[in-house]
Amino acid sequence: MITVQAALSGLLLGGLYALMAAGVSVTWGVLRVINLALFGMMLISAYLTFAVATAWGVDPLVTLLVTVPAMFVLGGLVQLTFDALKITELNSLLLSFGLLIVIVQAVSNIWSADFQRMAADVNPYATEAVHIGRFVFPAPTLLAFGVAILVIGGAHLLLRRTFAGRAVRAFAEDRTVAATFGIDHRKVGVLLAAVAGAIAAVAGMLFSLGNALTPATAFEWFGTVFAVVILGGVGQVAGTLAAGLLVGLLSGVVSVTLSPAASPFVLFSAIILALLLRPQGLFAVRTVVR
Amino acid sequence: MRKTTVALATATLLLGFLTACESKSGTDDGAAPAPAASGEPIVVGSTLSLSGAFAATGAIHKITGEAFVERLNAGGGLLGRPVEWVVRDDESDQAKVSTLYEQLISQDKVDLIMGPYATPNILSAMAVAARHNYTMPQHTAVIAPLLTYECQFPAWSIGPTPNEFVPNQLLDAVASLNPAPKKVAILTNQNGSTDFVSYGAGNNKTGAVSITKSRGLDLVLEVRYPPTTTDWAPIAAQVRDAAPDLVINSGLGVDPVNLLQAMAQLKYKPPLMFSLFPAPGPPLGLGPTSEGLMSVSIFEPNQPTLAKLPPVATEIVNDFKTRATAANLPYTVFETQAAASWNAWEILTSGVKAANSVDNKAICDSLHSSGAETTFSGKLTFDPAQNNFWPTTSTIKQIQGGDWVTVWPADRAAAPLKGPTAG
Repeated sequence: MITVQAALSGLLLGGLYALMAAGVSVTWGVLRVINLALFGMMLISAYLTFAVATAWGVDPLVTLLVTVPAMFVLGGLVQLTFDALKITELNSLLLSFGLLIVIVQAVSNIWSADFQRMAADVNPYATEAVHIGRFVFPAPTLLAFGVAILVIGGAHLLLRRTFAGRAVRAFAEDRTVAATFGIDHRKVGVLLAAVAGAIAAVAGMLFSLGNALTPATAFEWFGTVFAVVILGGVGQVAGTLAAGLLVGLLSGVVSVTLSPAASPFVLFSAIILALLLRPQGLFAVRTVVR
Repeated sequence: MRKTTVALATATLLLGFLTACESKSGTDDGAAPAPAASGEPIVVGSTLSLSGAFAATGAIHKITGEAFVERLNAGGGLLGRPVEWVVRDDESDQAKVSTLYEQLISQDKVDLIMGPYATPNILSAMAVAARHNYTMPQHTAVIAPLLTYECQFPAWSIGPTPNEFVPNQLLDAVASLNPAPKKVAILTNQNGSTDFVSYGAGNNKTGAVSITKSRGLDLVLEVRYPPTTTDWAPIAAQVRDAAPDLVINSGLGVDPVNLLQAMAQLKYKPPLMFSLFPAPGPPLGLGPTSEGLMSVSIFEPNQPTLAKLPPVATEIVNDFKTRATAANLPYTVFETQAAASWNAWEILTSGVKAANSVDNKAICDSLHSSGAETTFSGKLTFDPAQNNFWPTTSTIKQIQGGDWVTVWPADRAAAPLKGPTAG
């Protein structure tokens, strides 16, 4: 019984992992940019959710009206900068890490390095859950799971069924050939990065529903997010969702069947194994041409 | 050209970041020294975790240190000289702690040093201090058996064996309740300090787990979790199913918040819960969910406690609140961490005054022979045989009516300990 509950809770939490990883995976796979600034955008959005909800007393979900447009613009601007500097994949890692440091320091200066957390009166989701029989579905992660299905599922359909999606995929496969067919790689890139920023905003809001925030939180996300990105296959949207759910499920089940202390060991051992057996990612439909 | 531009931009960012990592207090921060303080400043060097994992608490120590130095200079300085505090950001990285203390002592040639925050950082700094024979007061290191340098002076003492003292004090406290808890669950963060309190270290394997059993209590659940835990639901479900009367969480930071929240989602709240080193503010934000939560404390500014102290204690508490508010700290109460920081500065200045010198050997000797007077913990005495861990003044605090209140031992309590039905 408790193992099933842990599996369910882990699956729901996996939705949040998938959302956090989606932008990183897509920008890495398609734009060939390892954009660590997305972690900063999640952090800013989480703090903005806290600040706006606390100051105005609005439902935390409403803060998306502020954070999504803001991070959409910021995501696009960062990509414009990368384009202007004709940045390479490795340099994008260095530059975006610098940007992340600046964001973390700015957040620390504005909100202090101390823990910030939405009080119970403005965040009713934190201690709420949906109960079905003996099973419990915590509200923050249930929301994250639902949003992950909607956002990542929607993105997957857009990429498969629309012209813009086909343009993105063509761009990912071969930039030169795509350009000869009239695909403006800069516009596509900026739009994609902006959407990644918007998804980061949603992930940040969802994270703040169930967690206390410190500026250093952004660095704590690295391990899990990159695990999901690599398992799902770099640039594979649907793979990211599947990998997020798998990571959440595995962590939850190992926590109760072995020990929470064994969870990171089992998880990262599984990742090493997966990389050995399927270096393109467990859920990669096909390898992105590099 | 573009590569050069990128390199320059990155270097500029890094340089700006590193420059921002150093700050100074005292005579350089605009606070005028008192007329009586003159001559070359006495320079105190230290690091604090102003960024990274320990930054939440590092900020408290920075504010407290600045307030202390300002007050000290306003009162005539130390040995008639102004005091300047150079504090660098160790980024919560113990490797950087060693390097920075080495620089402070060898290159900057600071007169005195103050310890950093957090046990691993303190252990790193202590090795450098020992190499250069500097006296080092330190705020909050818990693993007393490892702090063997005779010139390190703890400012927060849970006695020489915290792994025995904390569980015994807690279990004594809850034994006073009617009914007293019989079934206990112990949830341990695998961080060094918290694991030490649950399981001991070195040759002394006594801890909360063994003490619970030796006192005849029923240990119904024992879980160790990594500091990186993000999924609290499985642990919460295990606690609910074990149905303990008391949950002992040897945890840190927001661990108890995450646990209580996950348990609340299960519509479950343990009758009694204790958490070892929580960030004090976040549990209060949980409202009724955290009511009754217990923890350790050396000082809470409850009115009955303040009434027993000289008026300057209230001034310090109020000044801290003003400064913490200005620094945007969410929890502005002068409590354990700030009191430990204040103690550390008072230990240092007591030693200098008693030695009438900034000679570190003389300061160390005078602290051993004369001890130190502190505002919040009274007279401290230091016995090298106990690694200078003075007889503890640690208490149990509990959230009552949305605030932390000292509840145990009875002679130092601001209110009685409440049982599960009173919450």
